[in-house]
Amino acid sequence: MASVTSRSSTCVLGPQIAVRGALSGEEDLVVEGRIEGNVALAGHLVVAPGGVVEADLEVSSIEVHGEVRGDIVASRSITIEKGAMVAGNCRAPRVIIHDGAKFDGAVDMDVQLPDGLHRGR
Amino acid sequence: MANTVIGSSIVIDGEITGDEDLVVRGTVKGRVSLRENIFVEDSGVLEANVETATITVHGRVTGDIHATERAELKSNCRVVGDIRSPRVLIADGASFKGTVDMDA
Repeated sequence: MASVTSRSSTCVLGPQIAVRGALSGEEDLVVEGRIEGNVALAGHLVVAPGGVVEADLEVSSIEVHGEVRGDIVASRSITIEKGAMVAGNCRAPRVIIHDGAKFDGAVDMDVQLPDGLHRGR
Repeated sequence: MANTVIGSSIVIDGEITGDEDLVVRGTVKGRVSLRENIFVEDSGVLEANVETATITVHGRVTGDIHATERAELKSNCRVVGDIRSPRVLIADGASFKGTVDMDA
């Protein structure tokens, strides 16, 4: 069985795994299972199809194929792919929502508003 | 089969439950409850009470272990806590403090 453990170096939470609590780290992570709580990751987070994240997220970048319920803050980009479901607010310099994705929430790209346009933001 | 790997820079503070093998290279604090196999690798740290079928420890575990099949402490591991399992293996070079209960 030891050979299985050295097979891959990617950090993966498999489809039958549920994590409740706080997760932090500095590497890429693939979620095929379920996370509830808080995630702070200096890396790329992939929520695979079937993966469910009910958590507030702080990541470098994120790619959602599954389901996310919670606010997402990304220092680089948020990508919501076809078939994904996101309920929460997204804040990142780049937010990409693909055709076929479901999104319910606000997007904040920290856009510079043109002069003379004051919307109280 | 998909394998769950907690990478070396990952820290989880809370609870992990599930139904598949778990490889720990990072840190897990709290509680772990699985019906499969846990591998704590050299860099892995478990500060948790553990319920599992089997556990193989190369790294560090602080907490009580209840393994329904087997608990194996490899050389160079450090385990502090009570172990309850029908089969408990402690390799030469392992460091362990706690009680062993094989009546489980």
